Amino acid sequence: MDGQSPRCPPVTEICARRRQLLLSFFAGFSLAVTLLVPAGPASAGDQQGAQRHARAERKGEASAGLDERLGQKVPLDITFRDESGRPVRLGELVTGPTIILPVYYSCTNICNILQGGLARVIPELKLTPGEEYRVLSVSFDETETPELASKYKRMYLTAMHAPFPADAWRFLTGDAESICRLTDAAGYRFQRKGRDFIHPVASLVVARDGTIVRYLYGTTFLPKDLTLALIEAREGKVGITIRKVVGYCFSFDPVAKTYVFNLLRVSATVVILCTGGFLAFLILTGRKRLRYPSRKS
Amino acid sequence: MNLADETRMTTGSFWNDTGKTGISAWIFSTDHKRIGLLYFWSVLGFFLVGVVLGVLLRIELMAPGRTIMGPQTYNALFTVHGVVMIFLFIIPGFQGSFGNMVMPIQIGARDVSFPRLNLFSWWLYITGAAVILTSLFTGGGPPDTGWTFYVPFSARTGTNVSLAVFGVFMIGFSSILTGVNFVTTIHRLRAEGMTWGRLPLFVWSLYATAWVQILATPILGITLVLILAERLLGTGLFDPGRGGDPVMYQHLFWIYSHPAVYIMILPAMGVVSDIIPVFSRKPIFGYKMIAFSSIAIAAFGSLVWGHHMYTSGMSDTAILVFSFLTFIVAIPSAIKVFNWVSTLYRGSISLEAPMLFALSFILLFSIGGLSGLILGAAATDIHVHDTHFVVGHFHYVIFGGSGFAFFAAMHYWLPKFYGRRYAEKPAVVAWALMFVGFNVMYFTMQVLGMKGMPRRYYDYLPEFATLNLVATVGSWILVSGLMLMLHNLFRGLFQGVTFEGNPWGGATLEWSIPTPPPTENFTEEPVVTHGPYDFKGAGIP
Repeated sequence: MDGQSPRCPPVTEICARRRQLLLSFFAGFSLAVTLLVPAGPASAGDQQGAQRHARAERKGEASAGLDERLGQKVPLDITFRDESGRPVRLGELVTGPTIILPVYYSCTNICNILQGGLARVIPELKLTPGEEYRVLSVSFDETETPELASKYKRMYLTAMHAPFPADAWRFLTGDAESICRLTDAAGYRFQRKGRDFIHPVASLVVARDGTIVRYLYGTTFLPKDLTLALIEAREGKVGITIRKVVGYCFSFDPVAKTYVFNLLRVSATVVILCTGGFLAFLILTGRKRLRYPSRKS
Repeated sequence: MNLADETRMTTGSFWNDTGKTGISAWIFSTDHKRIGLLYFWSVLGFFLVGVVLGVLLRIELMAPGRTIMGPQTYNALFTVHGVVMIFLFIIPGFQGSFGNMVMPIQIGARDVSFPRLNLFSWWLYITGAAVILTSLFTGGGPPDTGWTFYVPFSARTGTNVSLAVFGVFMIGFSSILTGVNFVTTIHRLRAEGMTWGRLPLFVWSLYATAWVQILATPILGITLVLILAERLLGTGLFDPGRGGDPVMYQHLFWIYSHPAVYIMILPAMGVVSDIIPVFSRKPIFGYKMIAFSSIAIAAFGSLVWGHHMYTSGMSDTAILVFSFLTFIVAIPSAIKVFNWVSTLYRGSISLEAPMLFALSFILLFSIGGLSGLILGAAATDIHVHDTHFVVGHFHYVIFGGSGFAFFAAMHYWLPKFYGRRYAEKPAVVAWALMFVGFNVMYFTMQVLGMKGMPRRYYDYLPEFATLNLVATVGSWILVSGLMLMLHNLFRGLFQGVTFEGNPWGGATLEWSIPTPPPTENFTEEPVVTHGPYDFKGAGIP
């Protein structure tokens, strides 16, 4: 299992699909997709974090990743610990549309950015927190404690600068088995690297019965996307997300990067063949001068 | 141009061969000489625009704080200065003007292979230029990204980047067409006896440059299209927030733009290789090595783009490889310099204006090239990255190198096409002023950079004030020399004494035909029997 997660077995690679999808993007698919997804400007810190993260991810590409399991269910009988250390069943918390953020609290960059991004956008949602949706941050580091979770909960709730019911964003910790059951069900693969983790930057939206209805990629959330996902979760609709397609096309993870350069390789080959053919033609045909007298009257 | 038309005295010259009059005799002509002159006047016009902008930038930097403009204006001015000088002056400069004017004659051809395509590429160029100029006065104002259009800023700034980028895109196509045309011409239209070993070195340099244009410019096109997609469609290709990568932009941009530096410098080296033997009265030393080194520079120069990005986030291995390749490029460049110097050795040197400019090319290019090695070595680059040192280095190579070679070519070849000479003494005085002003300005900038003065800032710390003042004074000396040079040269070309024949004693084919050249250059099919620098063979004393 060298280079793979010690706990969660790796699932199939997704790079081949991504390659195809990129090609289809360049075949003209992009316009429709990009018009549907308005540009979301990311902060400078966001970009740096994403780059650092991408570098970290490159090394663990074999095992870290995400395989969408849309329409499948996460088991609601898993037990985690809440911020006070009390055991809590997932089913008790998933009482409606729920956003689940797989993170680890001591993460020094991307998890903070992910949760911070959510904290920024939550006050803009028109839905009632606690009633119409709930957020669950779930640590996939089994060594993290409820005290740490509680500290981060205070931090993010404060960062929201808006009243927010404490019950509507829960920060969970759990043992390795519970964590793996959840992440396996979600197709979320991560890998420990020293004190840190290599993991995808994605969150999932589940319906009341645990059905996964949407994956959200990246650290920037748009209120529109989030609202749409939550409404779909309420209505039990499951569909491939636009963001997923965009993610396939543009994601900077190393796998994605490969196909970006493949495209360049294809065009470079075409250019070189054409110019090589041109040179060969010129060399083979040699000098070819028009005869005097002149071409002009 | 019309004024010049009236001053033509030789019937049968290309000046009075068309039935058309006025501007349409020029902008619809497929004669390579007319297209060359069209290019010449266009690029010279843009050069002067760039000079004015550059002087304004220097005046702003004359003293700390706001001097004559605010930060936003400064950003716009240095961007437009860069875009105009790079894309409108020096990239099309040599190929378009002297390449067009001289190259077909030098190989014994009546015209280029595709005369209409040639005219079309000028039209593309001038339309692209018009689009770029339009971008200055419309939309959100002139672009403020720097000539490199780096993302993410270029994807977000509210200024008129899209239009400017589109203009540059058009000019890129013009460049490719000229490249294809020249390669075909050099392969197919050489006169009887004009073997590859007898091609003038200017033609060799144009040939190498044309390949760079053909291979590298499409990448610029793609990159610019991606910026447009980023701005107009929000594709996110370069936006890490959506999985893109801004460093990829830098790679794409420099894959073109570094070879583009060789598009700027290679023909200049060709000009110098043609001028030095003529004014030394001696065949060029190491003809084959100079020709080969042009190709080698074009080849290796295409592999060194990463040295612009040592601080942008690359693996150490990549930095090492790019650094190594950068040092490799120094070898063919040094081969040229040593060969020029060897040509001078024991030559009968006559220090006339073209030669003075060519000699200063050698010195200034060497300073620029050596400071380039400081930038090419990763460790020292990190110290001086994005400082005035880079600005100084670049101007030493491109202005001190290509620019001075362009002036050399103007003094060397324009009299041939106008049939009139300029006054020698003012030309030498102008050269001296420019040479002094240039070094005062740019050497000081390199020192400033070493001391830590960043580039692209309209303001600076008080400790840089004295040197900045010195540099600005240098710019005034340089510009006064430039004005004197242009005044003297054009006064001579329009009103100077007429001449016939071969004033410099050149052995290349352009000196064997009447002055100004007839419409189709040669009255009868030329047969080449000697090399381009074989003065004895050409019967030149």
